[in-house]
Amino acid sequence: MRKQVQPERYWQEVVDLDAYAPPFNRNPSAWSQRVPISILASIATIIAGYMALFQWGLIPSIWDPIFGDGTESVLTSEAAQTMDRWLHVPDGAFGAWGYLSEAILGLAGSTRRWQYRPWMVILFGIDVIPLGGVSAILVLCQGFIIGAWCAPCLATALISFVLVFMAYDEVWASLKYLQRVWQHTHDKGLLWRVFWGYASTEADRLALQR
Amino acid sequence: MWGRVVEVMLGCWLVLSPFLFGHYPAPRPLWTSDLVCGGAIVLLALVSFWWWPIARFLRYAHVLILGVAFWLIGFGYFYGGYPASAGYQNDIFVGLILLLTAIIPNEASQPPPSWRRHYQRQTTAR
Repeated sequence: MRKQVQPERYWQEVVDLDAYAPPFNRNPSAWSQRVPISILASIATIIAGYMALFQWGLIPSIWDPIFGDGTESVLTSEAAQTMDRWLHVPDGAFGAWGYLSEAILGLAGSTRRWQYRPWMVILFGIDVIPLGGVSAILVLCQGFIIGAWCAPCLATALISFVLVFMAYDEVWASLKYLQRVWQHTHDKGLLWRVFWGYASTEADRLALQR
Repeated sequence: MWGRVVEVMLGCWLVLSPFLFGHYPAPRPLWTSDLVCGGAIVLLALVSFWWWPIARFLRYAHVLILGVAFWLIGFGYFYGGYPASAGYQNDIFVGLILLLTAIIPNEASQPPPSWRRHYQRQTTAR
């Protein structure tokens, strides 16, 4: 890989990868913010995967400290079987994939990805905020529809809500950056290129402007 | 580069799965698909890793893994039918995970090449 890296070893001298993203006085793409998001999402992946193991019949029972048999009634309910017929895979396993996607998209990108890769931050935002939020609300409704409660399901729904609050500022910084680029240039082509991570002197000047 | 590493591991998993899930030697379309797709994933990920002796555009080879991922999901879902046996569900999940990794750029933890060149020009202009 030396051939690729060697001619561009000086770029780090002129760029601050920890710069604060307007309108915040912090860097929402910092590892200190993204690693906890990924750890929480991974915990939810493991919980959902544990429920999937039960739905696949690989483990005979499931541990629920609060509702006892509630989890097993939820996971074998009519609603869960309907989801299984639609998806061809257990809904627990599909949920595990959803949380895994939040963990993976949370880890990808540099600590200034709100500026350099808006597409990635916005994809992450769509994954965590509308999709994560709506699925968490559906999980909460399960208790009222099915008539049984499930502590591991509620734990993953809670994690979803926490992730929305942890992730929103990075998405907001990225959207505000794109908005500044648009308002100062009114150049659709430039906005498109900036969105997909192509460099621009004009966009770089606007990136840290408040 | 970690996206490519995960893809190579998933490709190897797919090559092993006919033997792990017991769908070798039948049904034949399933294990054929697993072996071909697994091989293609490993190949595309490695080409994306070692693009530089051949041609620059090859570093984007990992994007083609999206095509393999859609095939795996579609094959597992439609050909597998319902209820889908373990081998088909495995295809669906490997495909779903590949959808996530295939969009991760090489050197994902650094700014994109375009921005690095942009700042590089600033240092040489000084």
